[in-house]
Amino acid sequence: MSKRKNTKLINRLTCAALALPGLMHEASAARVEETYDVDVQYGHYEESGQRIKVNTFESAFTIPIGNAMTSMFNFVHDAVSGASPIYNSRDAQGKVTQVMSGASIKEERNMIDANIAYFLDQSTLKAGGGYSTEHDYKSKYLNASWSQDFNKKHTTLNLSGSVAFDDIEPTNFNSDCGNKCTKTTEQVLAGVTQVLNKDALLQTNLTFSNSSGYLSDPYKRVIFYDANNVLTTIASDKRPRDRRQWAGLVRYVQHVEDANRAALHADYRFTTDNWGINSHTVDLSWHQPLGEGWEIVPRIRYYTQGKADFYEPTFTGTPTNTPNYSSDYRLAGFGVVSGGLKLTKTLSSSKPLQYLKLNAGIEYFDHKSRYELGGNDSGSFADFKYYLFTASVNLKF
Amino acid sequence: MQTFKVSLFIGLIISTVACSEVPARQRGNLALPQMALTPDAQESALRQHTFLSKEAASGGYGGTGGGCGCN
Repeated sequence: MSKRKNTKLINRLTCAALALPGLMHEASAARVEETYDVDVQYGHYEESGQRIKVNTFESAFTIPIGNAMTSMFNFVHDAVSGASPIYNSRDAQGKVTQVMSGASIKEERNMIDANIAYFLDQSTLKAGGGYSTEHDYKSKYLNASWSQDFNKKHTTLNLSGSVAFDDIEPTNFNSDCGNKCTKTTEQVLAGVTQVLNKDALLQTNLTFSNSSGYLSDPYKRVIFYDANNVLTTIASDKRPRDRRQWAGLVRYVQHVEDANRAALHADYRFTTDNWGINSHTVDLSWHQPLGEGWEIVPRIRYYTQGKADFYEPTFTGTPTNTPNYSSDYRLAGFGVVSGGLKLTKTLSSSKPLQYLKLNAGIEYFDHKSRYELGGNDSGSFADFKYYLFTASVNLKF
Repeated sequence: MQTFKVSLFIGLIISTVACSEVPARQRGNLALPQMALTPDAQESALRQHTFLSKEAASGGYGGTGGGCGCN
């Protein structure tokens, strides 16, 4: 093998071995970009019934700076419409019904983020930041990461941290903080990426995130009934003002030579927090090359979470005697089963366009309370289904 | 909780030692695009942002960008 090919191989290998998740975006995981990259993606998310639909457009530009640096700029536009659950009510027999907002929500989000990465022989430094704006929600964030190779590049240590400052300006007055609320989130990540053998990689990450400030949802309501099942109060969602969450993730990637060089990706994640929510996620995908640049990727995922300590579908008592309360379906116990399929076609050509990749995929999700690990008999009032369609183009010049 | 942290720490240690040495010339399979930990970063970021909006859990993979994801 020529020296040039060897260098190229080592560069590509470094890319694989160092592929750490940056806190903001995983697009430019530790690698020296020697090309100008343009990545454009369209996504369509849609829930069953007349619920939320989101169209999202994203474009990312990666630009080399000299031989050891790259910069990346990313723009996202989301258009959201549809109905969203507001609260739950219950009838005289105790049957719970979810009450929706009506299909009145129309929202747009714009986000810009950028980062700069500096590559040394055995380490990579990255720093970035971003700004996301909606008419009632603004978020500013900064992040930095460091990855270091050792053990003859079999092992990479990844450390990163981020901080986000959010301003929430609810369009309805909220008793917690009026119409100007703030929250701050800090997150740190420590991880190790390990080459296990010539056909397998393992990554282990631990993240800790601390949020403080206004963590409630200003548009969710909670219904209180008295002992005779008579509605007494409609209150605003009220959550603790701090949240600390731990997440442990293990990712395993296995090359399968006999299956036309396919790759199995297996992820498992456990999270726990001081709101009493524990979750498990298993995400499996099989990346099957078909020849002539075609690849098909079937995927399955299972997610399950227990309910928050302060979640109930409806409450009995009064808000003044209840420190925190929420009926937000996302804090309930439930499970989500999903399956998806993605097709990609890669074309390589000569300059100026060196590489073109087309991707299209769809993933279908079934969210049900009874899918919660260990069972859940709270009923099906909050069950729904949704799908996510994505289509994207990746270009290298 | 304590058990979880200890298990994870042990996992981190094990993952650094329970492997065989692979010379650079034998790492071709690891460099295949389908072997990247995140083969499609944009799709991965969109999926994680969607999950953040619909599920209480987050973390592990890194951040998912800003914004409310309230609906």
